[in-house]
Amino acid sequence: MSLTEGPVKELDDKFVDLIGKFVSDIKTGKLKGSNNVALAMVTLLETIISDSQNATAYELCGAVRAAGRRVMSALPHELVAANVARRMLRAIRDENRAHANQSVEASGESLQRLVLAASARRATLGSAQQDLREPLRDQIAELRGELESSISSICGQAKEHVNGDELILTYGSSAIAERFLRAAAHRKYKLIVAEGAEQSESHAMANRLSAAGVPVTVISSASIYAVMSRVNKVVISVKAAMGGGAVLAEAGLHAVTQAARHYCVPVLALAPLYKLSPVHDVSHFNAYAAPHTALPYDRHELATDNMHVYAPMYDFAPPDHITLFITNLGGSSPSYMYRMLSELYDLNDYVF
Amino acid sequence: MEIDKDNVVQAVVIMDTFNSHFSPICDNKPMGLLPVAGVPLINYILESLSNGGVGEVILFCCKYGQKIKDYIRKCIEDKAVWSVSMEVQVMMSDTCQTMGDVMREIDAAGIIRGNFILTGVNSVTNINFASLLEQHKQICKKDKGAAMTLVYKKVAWEHPLISADKPIFLAADANTNKVLMHQKYKQKSTVKSISLPLEIVLNHSEVKLHHNLADASIALCSPSVPPLFSDNFDFQTRDDFIHGILINEEILASSLYYTLLKGHQYAATVTNWKTYQTVCRDVLHNWTYPITIEAGLYNQNNYITMRNHIFRAKSSTLSRSCSLEEDVLIGAQTQINDNTIISKSMIGKNCVIGNNVTIKGSHIMNNVVIKDNCTVVHSFIDDNCIIEEKCVIENGTIIASNVVVEAGSQLKGNILESTEVEKEKTLMKSTSESTEWENESSGSGGDDFIGFEKTWSDSESCYSSEGSDESSLPDSPVPEDTNIFLQEVIDSLARGYEEKLKNDYLILEINSSRYAYNIQLHEVNFFVVRALLSIPVLAENKNIVNTVKDILKYFRPVLANYIKTKSSIMDCLRAVEDSCIKCEWLDGKAGQILHLLYEADVVDEDSLLEWYKDLQENESPIADQQSLIKFFDWLEEASEESDESE
Repeated sequence: MSLTEGPVKELDDKFVDLIGKFVSDIKTGKLKGSNNVALAMVTLLETIISDSQNATAYELCGAVRAAGRRVMSALPHELVAANVARRMLRAIRDENRAHANQSVEASGESLQRLVLAASARRATLGSAQQDLREPLRDQIAELRGELESSISSICGQAKEHVNGDELILTYGSSAIAERFLRAAAHRKYKLIVAEGAEQSESHAMANRLSAAGVPVTVISSASIYAVMSRVNKVVISVKAAMGGGAVLAEAGLHAVTQAARHYCVPVLALAPLYKLSPVHDVSHFNAYAAPHTALPYDRHELATDNMHVYAPMYDFAPPDHITLFITNLGGSSPSYMYRMLSELYDLNDYVF
Repeated sequence: MEIDKDNVVQAVVIMDTFNSHFSPICDNKPMGLLPVAGVPLINYILESLSNGGVGEVILFCCKYGQKIKDYIRKCIEDKAVWSVSMEVQVMMSDTCQTMGDVMREIDAAGIIRGNFILTGVNSVTNINFASLLEQHKQICKKDKGAAMTLVYKKVAWEHPLISADKPIFLAADANTNKVLMHQKYKQKSTVKSISLPLEIVLNHSEVKLHHNLADASIALCSPSVPPLFSDNFDFQTRDDFIHGILINEEILASSLYYTLLKGHQYAATVTNWKTYQTVCRDVLHNWTYPITIEAGLYNQNNYITMRNHIFRAKSSTLSRSCSLEEDVLIGAQTQINDNTIISKSMIGKNCVIGNNVTIKGSHIMNNVVIKDNCTVVHSFIDDNCIIEEKCVIENGTIIASNVVVEAGSQLKGNILESTEVEKEKTLMKSTSESTEWENESSGSGGDDFIGFEKTWSDSESCYSSEGSDESSLPDSPVPEDTNIFLQEVIDSLARGYEEKLKNDYLILEINSSRYAYNIQLHEVNFFVVRALLSIPVLAENKNIVNTVKDILKYFRPVLANYIKTKSSIMDCLRAVEDSCIKCEWLDGKAGQILHLLYEADVVDEDSLLEWYKDLQENESPIADQQSLIKFFDWLEEASEESDESE
């Protein structure tokens, strides 16, 4: 029986409470940064798995799916949490398959198994009754290890991409871009920081990098196009890397990548694997923040009453604007992203 | 566990507003359940408190406590967002009439452990309460007497949050943010000058003056606040408290501070229909982020965002030919039919809107049916109403729940209530009564009742010009404070009469109430007499004249204390006039009452005659009352007789 066709399972109350706590932590800003969110989600799912009454593949998949669905509907913009849930589902399926096939052959992937994988999965999941908690523990530890090391492994590649005397442009501020640029500090490159929506954070990042020995220039986002002709590389961090090779990132990014494309400047997108999302449609992704950055509330007068002020949080950059994704497995081109998706997630789990 | 509890941030939410600005919609349900942008008000405050790091909330209900309790229980069962991280406690007390009573009750209950947040249910905000409270604690460290930090949001001067509410003028020390002067003006006040005491300028190196602040009705309080309320029984509202503290700073050893919210922080109070609209729009415009329409009540996103701040529930059905213009919210399962135009409106759940309907600037609650060819402009329609075909509803019409409006009705600025609701308050002004509904035009909300407006930004309230039967009174409508004062005097006198208390004590009581509400002497004279004639005993008694006689006899010393001079006698007579118009039990008995007063030597002949002349000139409704004419005939005869005998 295919999991997607199974009845929609509802979670136990204690798990719902846990998820509620997780969601409110993210909302109130106690939990910040995609890496921390991903790790918290792993912990959450680990609790759900270890506390489940029946630890068969079917039950666990149902519980993890329900958790993923709940988190997704509460935080449609935290794609990372959903990605972690998908990874967990994949781990459960893999583990289940490994158990079912234990008698046939030892662990390890063979070409034949890969080819037959889809049908095998479908055939075995319903019938398997083993307790998967024990074997899953290793998988979870592995996943956690990957999450913890992903940023450092991306930053480890900085030396390959940033060369001496280059002029690098980055947009806004992000922890991963900062670490990446810091890792290449000894290369004697020059950096331009274009102010993002949160100006103060961009300035703070510029200060820190400057203290680390990188010559930094801060420009306003309006002058990106003017300086782009001199820039050698653009380094950006993304909110999500999408299946087609497009990216979702901080608002205003599209202007940067557009300018880069016009001047044929390579754009490096720093995307740890947990940011890889099987999402293609971005029409519902218009998340709006409070519009105070565009027009402060105390300027809101009668005359402006009929006015609409928007402050979108994300920007969508199409695949042809990105030159290279830098994941923790190395660099890969946008056209290869779909393949990475199918390696990471099970096709059945794209939609919860 | 105990140590843990000390660090939990506490908040007190007062669930009543102690006014009738939302009458009749909030007559039968708590203010907390009034939906703002599709979500009951109480959820906004609870969610912002939980997002703001508050661990324990005390909801203080004076009315409808059970309804709030049931609602809270239901939310917790449904796993509302705030229920996870916050403990919600509902306190009920039917006897509380003002915020001051609530604070005294809280003080008596001893539930406050440390600094706490005090807010009203009508605040909509996204601020981080915990960090503001931390700020308040820092202030407390510097100034041991810091009692309260008031939270204000800076807005444009012409903003509806100021112009539709009472504007505030605030003077504060620029270095410490200590409030030095706080003045609240009446609505649309024309006061052009501000008098600033010289010592404010002399004693502080730098003084900030603010005139463009919107009150968020959020305050961060020290544990000393509830006892301060208990010690000063005349503190009835937060404004009383602020004034009391500022005037008696040395005596009470307390001081006030204020804080302004930063750009991304939003806070507003729903105080009347106009601010209600403003807040609804701000919610749609995402100012309250992260509390947004999309985030939803239970953290489940059920809305689709469209352009121009239009949100529609996923389960709503829109016709292809209907057009949503801007700022629209459409609730779940609502159906909108062909060629309907909607803009700047909120439509609740399970509504059916027919063909060719125009809805602009209106708020339509749940389960409402609006049939074909209707026009609804700047109006409020509560739950379960049915609007038949070809109705025109505009200019701030407010329709309470379960009303059926007949086909072809034209409603402009009316307030409709279902006939199932008790009819006590009906002002019998109906122009077009039908069996299904009654038409009630209202001016009863006091001077600060604000209706819907012709446009969202227009500054003329549609109720200001509305005629009502109260307008014949010399200084109607009666301001709120004096109303409370009157009620208190009535209470004191009634109790005194029943328990046969000493008149001296009653005078003392009346005087203390007088100072609490800052009532002028001539007003006191007026109200004491007014109160004497309104003692509830009268209403129940058959033989009014005898009872009045008894009362006057009993309260003779009280009257003697107040009614001494000529002008006080005139006050007294005006009070009699007022009472005879307002109190139905005195209907047609003006003459007898005057006779009693005359016999008791409270009023003299000259004043009576002068007053009677005034009555006739002003064409007062009682001037040609039979008993009055009789009395004055008698008076003239009597005086002639006495003249003759001399």
